[in-house]
Amino acid sequence: MDTKKYSLKNLIFSKINRKLSFLVIGALMAPALGIYLFYYVLSMSFPSGVFSEQAALLRTTAVFIIIIISIVNAGIIGFFVTRSISKPIKELHKATIELEKGNYDIRLDIKTDDEISELGNAFNLTTAALGRLEKERKEIDNAKTEFLSITSHELRSPMTPMKAQLQMLQEGYFGKLNKKQKESLEIITRNSDRLDNIIVDFLEISRIEAARLKFNFKETDISEIVDETIKFMDGFAKEKNIKLVVNIEKLPVIDVDPDRLSQVLRNLINNAIKFSQENSKIEIDAKLNGEYILFSVRDYGCGLSCDNQIRIFEPFYQVESSSRRKHGGTGLGLAICRGIVEAQKGKIWVESKEGKGSKFSFTVPLAPIRKIEPIKVLFSSKKLIEKKICEEFKSILGPLGNSEFDELKNKNALGKEDLFDYIDSLTDLHIIPQKKGEYFKNSVGEIFGEEKTVINKNDDTNYNSLEDEVLVRN
Amino acid sequence: MPKTILIVDDEEDVRESVKTILQSNGYTVETAVDGDDCLNKVQERRPDLILLDIMMPGTPVVEILKQIQDIKIAFMSVVRISDARKRGLCSQSNIVDFFQKPFNVSDLVDRVEFILNK
Repeated sequence: MDTKKYSLKNLIFSKINRKLSFLVIGALMAPALGIYLFYYVLSMSFPSGVFSEQAALLRTTAVFIIIIISIVNAGIIGFFVTRSISKPIKELHKATIELEKGNYDIRLDIKTDDEISELGNAFNLTTAALGRLEKERKEIDNAKTEFLSITSHELRSPMTPMKAQLQMLQEGYFGKLNKKQKESLEIITRNSDRLDNIIVDFLEISRIEAARLKFNFKETDISEIVDETIKFMDGFAKEKNIKLVVNIEKLPVIDVDPDRLSQVLRNLINNAIKFSQENSKIEIDAKLNGEYILFSVRDYGCGLSCDNQIRIFEPFYQVESSSRRKHGGTGLGLAICRGIVEAQKGKIWVESKEGKGSKFSFTVPLAPIRKIEPIKVLFSSKKLIEKKICEEFKSILGPLGNSEFDELKNKNALGKEDLFDYIDSLTDLHIIPQKKGEYFKNSVGEIFGEEKTVINKNDDTNYNSLEDEVLVRN
Repeated sequence: MPKTILIVDDEEDVRESVKTILQSNGYTVETAVDGDDCLNKVQERRPDLILLDIMMPGTPVVEILKQIQDIKIAFMSVVRISDARKRGLCSQSNIVDFFQKPFNVSDLVDRVEFILNK
């Protein structure tokens, strides 16, 4: 498309102005012509200088007629102006809103043959381009999910004969083994099990990302599920002499997938056991909380640093590289938990203090969400959080926010505590007022998953933040 | 008279592994590499149990199931039983078990014994 220069000439002779000037000229010409005709007739009918009552009456009537003609004229002009300008602009506005909603098929059909119809054509081209990009993005996304799913299946099939042969060796199908051979086989078996677990978790993630996660909703007594899960996990807890303390309120029977619920709970309790010292305890709570049931698993283990708290739900993120070897696991458990919880429109978050323990909480809606949506569990939550923080900076500090954010990022000071210190320094130096500083802190806190302002509106009183709780206990 | 088991799987390593396991436990074992082969072997040998992989080239499993109504069949598959159910594969009455791959050897032996003594 050729770009036109915005000169005065172009402005005056633009199609839309030409059209408007025709209308204005027409509107002025019609009454003027009428007045001219009237005086022409008047001068023909009455000799000059003679003013009779008849003439006065005629003049008044004529003025009225002219006024009426002018009004009709104005109406006609209004109609044309609306048709050629307002209506297409309204259409354009409607189409833009549709586009914002994600309807890339919307097309405009403006036939005014002026700048507005040109704008309409440009809009159509842009929308088509956006539509192509969106389609491409979806295709890539599907291909990724498909690839993940196929790869996992393909990886899984060699596991079958491998594991079978290993077990046959171990069970003496091919003769008795000596001690060294047995040890070697044990190591192979343990690692092939681990590999298999990773593949299974991969499959689960591909299902979550493709919204193919299956939920079998049925009316379930929550306390029964929790009890069963606890019984299952108790064996693992006893190995480290850890006590599982259960505290379940009286809860309504709800429509939920018991296996999925149990899967999330097992995962959280398993983690809690892994990161607890021997002889400690783990508290498992379930209570009604507005439209949700709130579950939490609290341990008194090593806790998490701020940075780890953000990233703990990322796939393959483990607190230290050594912890994977020490604690085992695939590194996908919490990512899967997040997928399962969020697919049902619930939330999952962690509150923790290093050295004091962690509390993982998640919510399950009372009314099941049957339309399961794809969740991007493979995305890094750290990047997402950084983006949100940057936006918050810009909204509070204006354009300055960007550079301030970059500086903090370079100093590697984007943890919650660092940010709170930074905001305190801003208010101390009176760069921002106290109130704004508090608001800033609140927003930052929310980004870091301080969900209680959102979810726990109803019982702020009995729900202390973990930090307070820990301080009270010590 | 030992019972005859037909193993149908397109992967040779799986076939051979299962064959060794079952032979060591005293069963007569036949193998088939795909659906067509399976139907032929069933005609020839009339096995007591068929261990059938769900995903195979050649004749689709649904067809095989239609033609074999009177011999016990146990599925072996990497997909989960819920997926198999969704595909409508588990409704027939001669389908007696579902072995999730990778299977556990002693578990396989126990369950096969249970099926054939029933």
